[in-house]
Amino acid sequence: MLNPTLVTVILAASLIGALAGVLGTFLVLRGQSLLGDVISHAALPGVVGGFLASGGRGFAAILAGALVSGALAGLTVQLLRRGAGVKADAALGTVLSLFFAAGVVLLSVAQLQPGAAGLTVFLFGQAASVLRADLLPMALVTLLVLGSVAVFWKEFQLITFDREAAQAQGLPVPLLETLLTVLIAITIVLGLALAGVVLMVALLIAPAVAARQWVRGLGPMVFLSAAIGILAGASGAFLSAIGDGVATGPVMVLMASLLTTLSLLFAPDRGVVARWMRQVRARKSLRGRQVLAALDGLRLDHQNPAYGSDQAMLDAYLGTDARPVLDRLQREGLIRAQAPVAPEARSTRWELTDAGIAQLAESGGRI
Amino acid sequence: MSGLHEPQFACHVEDLTVSYRERPVLWDIDLDIPPGVMAAIVGPNGAGKSTLIKAILGLVKPVAGHVRIFGLPVDEARRRIAYVPQRQSVDWDFPATVRDVVLMGLYGQLGWFRRPSKADRARAMRALEEVGMQDYAARPISQLSGGQQQRAFIARALVQEAELLFLDEPMAGVDAVTEAAIVTLLKAQRDAGRTVVVVHHDLQTVSKYFDWLVMLNQRIIAQGPVSEVYSEANLRAAYGGQLALIGALASPDPETGENA
Repeated sequence: MLNPTLVTVILAASLIGALAGVLGTFLVLRGQSLLGDVISHAALPGVVGGFLASGGRGFAAILAGALVSGALAGLTVQLLRRGAGVKADAALGTVLSLFFAAGVVLLSVAQLQPGAAGLTVFLFGQAASVLRADLLPMALVTLLVLGSVAVFWKEFQLITFDREAAQAQGLPVPLLETLLTVLIAITIVLGLALAGVVLMVALLIAPAVAARQWVRGLGPMVFLSAAIGILAGASGAFLSAIGDGVATGPVMVLMASLLTTLSLLFAPDRGVVARWMRQVRARKSLRGRQVLAALDGLRLDHQNPAYGSDQAMLDAYLGTDARPVLDRLQREGLIRAQAPVAPEARSTRWELTDAGIAQLAESGGRI
Repeated sequence: MSGLHEPQFACHVEDLTVSYRERPVLWDIDLDIPPGVMAAIVGPNGAGKSTLIKAILGLVKPVAGHVRIFGLPVDEARRRIAYVPQRQSVDWDFPATVRDVVLMGLYGQLGWFRRPSKADRARAMRALEEVGMQDYAARPISQLSGGQQQRAFIARALVQEAELLFLDEPMAGVDAVTEAAIVTLLKAQRDAGRTVVVVHHDLQTVSKYFDWLVMLNQRIIAQGPVSEVYSEANLRAAYGGQLALIGALASPDPETGENA
């Protein structure tokens, strides 16, 4: 099963997954997910251009081409925003479409060239297209990018959380922001052959969103996001490689989305289920309080501190079956059942215990 | 290094003009804040109060004018300044604990490649104690109330042990108890010889809290000790017709005589 090609594919996908997880954290926390999408779509004309200029699928030429067109797209966005006053999302959307359209046209033209058939893998990614010889340069670039993040860790943390405070402390914020954006662009470009220009950005966003659910600090978030990226990348590449001819990008994205969905649902504290359970618990405790208050009210109405309220009366007053709550309150020692006063009384009569009275006073008295 | 210019002032601003898309936001600002005062910058909405602080700190590029901090250009005086931005200017869902945020105040002083040390952590805890937040050090900032967020931000400024503090609306949206605690804290900073400059929105409390006042409405309307500047004529000049709505035409509080 584990033939050398598969090992190459899984290693490459793990590298990309880790890188995307780390840089994606900063992308998501800075609210720049859309910028990541622009850079990845805009890389397509550069990829084709690099191929045409170098006359083949050279790693360096295609990487350089993609970086140049990604940078051009970034500059165009700036120009539209600052120069023409176009709103950010409109500028990003326009530039994304423009560069991607140019890339698709260039791709059609390039396909007339011999040996250009392999270029289409850059649309949706194809793990099998990664050669063993690509692994070493990929690993080196990964180390370089991760090393830069480690070196500028606290600066990147501060400009991500509070740009103005960073500036006021004298950090060269525009320079650091440019560096961070370049590192993100390198990550995106490096992943293109595997994940494709269309879906690459999901590999940056999904692990970061998933990781945010579980952590309290930036350091843990970056490590967890990298781990989720590796898991999604490696499993996606593996599944696509054994499922002959399935594009890798979509499978990776499906795996990442699965992990993200699980995190959004089941993370303690921030997860949907945890929140839902907190609400249920709150509702329950409120019900308990309401029942205690009702018992208190009835006993005051009868001017009899030892008055026992009939359970059917409580049901009618609260508009619901009070039995489960009454049972719980009894277990908690807040109320007790009285001995029946008359033979015809069928339902139990309940009174507050001292603990119940104390509990009611503590929770703010009668409602 | 060039010689000092107006070193007798904690903050000296001359001919400062800031414009946004050809519209002046601040016009020909001349401002001097002496050291050791607790100063308020007040003015109506859109008067440019936050922009003035940002321009002093170099966060907004002025089209004209210059700024000196203790006689130095602001880039050479970064270590002597601390800044508390408006609380709403950041995303509080950022993954960090209260201690992380306070430590961020030291990042500029630490310089490149250095991580906060044990001693730095101890400094952060002391700053948290000053604002009464020591029990919240390990709490994620996403769980803080508005007043706690503000105190965490102030702790991040205090940890820098700067001589000149700028705070942008620190009393906005906090309850009365927190407001009183913040004022006590800032007065203690002033009494320790530091200079505190606060963008403030509540005219009622100006003379109770501050001893120096800058009235702003795109231009400087008046500046000086509160007892001299807080007058009906100046308020009318700064706030114009809005003043009737504010209803704050009390004469200066006699208490402030001691502060000024």
